[in-house]
Amino acid sequence: MAAPEVFNVSQSPITSHAFNADRTRQFSMRSDQLMRWFLILFRTFALEVAVSLNTNEVQLFSRSGLDWTPTETLSEHDKIVTSIDWAPNSNRIVTASQDRNAYVWQQASDPLTGRVVWKPTLVLLRINRAATFVRWSPFEDKFAVASGARAIAVCSFDPDNNWWIAKQLKKPIRSTVLSVDWHPNNVLLAAGSADMKARVFSAYIKDVDKRPPPSVWGEKLPFNTVCGEYSSPSGGWVHSVGFSPSGDVLAFASHDSTVSVVYPGGPAIYTIRSNSLPYVSLTWTSEDSIVAAGHDCQPVLLTGGPSGWQAVGSLDDTTAPKSSVGGRGGPTGSSPVGRLNSAAFNTFRNADSRGLGSSPGGGTPLATDTELFTVHQNTITDIRAYEGAPDAVSRVSTSGVDGKLVIWNVSAVSGLGTKLKALRVG
Amino acid sequence: MSNVLRPYLAAVRSTLTAALTLENFPSQVGGCSSSPSVNSIRVSIKIKQADEIERILCHKFTRFLMQRAESFIVLRRKPIKGYDISFLITNTHTESMLKHKIVDFIIQFMEDVDREISEMKLSLNARARTVAESYLTAVSLGIGYRVVTRLKCILWSYSAFAPA
Repeated sequence: MAAPEVFNVSQSPITSHAFNADRTRQFSMRSDQLMRWFLILFRTFALEVAVSLNTNEVQLFSRSGLDWTPTETLSEHDKIVTSIDWAPNSNRIVTASQDRNAYVWQQASDPLTGRVVWKPTLVLLRINRAATFVRWSPFEDKFAVASGARAIAVCSFDPDNNWWIAKQLKKPIRSTVLSVDWHPNNVLLAAGSADMKARVFSAYIKDVDKRPPPSVWGEKLPFNTVCGEYSSPSGGWVHSVGFSPSGDVLAFASHDSTVSVVYPGGPAIYTIRSNSLPYVSLTWTSEDSIVAAGHDCQPVLLTGGPSGWQAVGSLDDTTAPKSSVGGRGGPTGSSPVGRLNSAAFNTFRNADSRGLGSSPGGGTPLATDTELFTVHQNTITDIRAYEGAPDAVSRVSTSGVDGKLVIWNVSAVSGLGTKLKALRVG
Repeated sequence: MSNVLRPYLAAVRSTLTAALTLENFPSQVGGCSSSPSVNSIRVSIKIKQADEIERILCHKFTRFLMQRAESFIVLRRKPIKGYDISFLITNTHTESMLKHKIVDFIIQFMEDVDREISEMKLSLNARARTVAESYLTAVSLGIGYRVVTRLKCILWSYSAFAPA
């Protein structure tokens, strides 16, 4: 089982992350490997990642060898940057923030120094609450900004005024929109919100889009058509939504620890209940598999098809401690137990007095006193496809509240049975 | 004590772990001008008070802790009405500290408060007994054994409430 690549990017939480180019599409073939080396040689291409470190700035890191070095800081927002997306082909970054603004960043040469810098372009969102989530459309001519103003701003470029203007999707939304995802046809938009519903809208904009071909979601799709509305099974906030690579299936994760998969043609909705903590982010890795991650600190693979779905296992091997911190006596190790301070004694004492480690009601297994068995030591905030075509993703990346950025192999699944059982909540 | 507490603390641990799924949620109520509301959970604890001594001890002890609330970060200065001590864990806390350690802290805290109060109660009783005994040896000369024992009992129960 290939080990995941783990990078300690920062001490502070990572709210959101986005890599620059979809490497797979460009470099999946042999000839492209040559091109890649060529580009690296001439320094025109470098693997970069944009992260929001829970501040009002966006930090760019570039890959150098085995590490990430900070290259640039994009500062224009006043409050925490909540979401970042990097358009792979047009190489533009869009950021959304709690200051109710979004900016589109483009590389341009500075007139004074001649250096290439990232320049922001204002987006007229017309929202009066925080922007919570942002995603480029597949053709990169639009993007959608979710917000706390019970609206989604669908933005397109207005060349006359050199800014981005928004049209708002408002109608049946009754609470903060927490996430959005684009259908591959560039028109349909899925949204998950705190009113416990996932919805599919049409975000058709006349001047930008061509008429989309009819799909399972509908035929005539003027702006703000609601193509589907789905409640979370036990009434939890819908944290994350995602269209399958073909766009014919919708998955959403909600705070009641479930992932629901919707076949609109069906009409069938499959619900995968987990006995662990809720997932806050999910991504499709192929037409029949999803990786979801969240508060239980490990990405979990779900597979299925039109006949049913189930959880397969964790991408994380939670049987062994991750770092070799061994024998970390620490402050609690030196507790005043005196002559009885042996490991066995401590185990029994913990089980007895603190409800720790007893098998039926035990919490997450701890390696040392301070370390979880999972790679991420705190909630995973964001999971994204990292490598592979959209319908055959081979690696996914996650970022967490613990400041870690991890790249996982999707194929490396450890069995569900015992390991997930060890992680159950109660 | 521990065996009685075990299922209780296990339940508290599971509940806290499940409840501590906080995130930075920009409120739609707070809006832009006022400071945004924070996503948080409040844990309020009522400590066992079987008799008058425990009631006094508990009151003094929680007051002592709550006066130093800043050092505990998640502890509040005033409990919710009807409870003895109250914690407020915000999303900022879960971001800056490890989540499972916050749960550990609360469990440890509950355990320690319980133990501390029972220990104080024991030492208070022991002290009261010593005081009563030394007082009575001073006045008991010439009084019969039975009377002394009865007096002892009465004084013992009185001195338990007296400030040490």
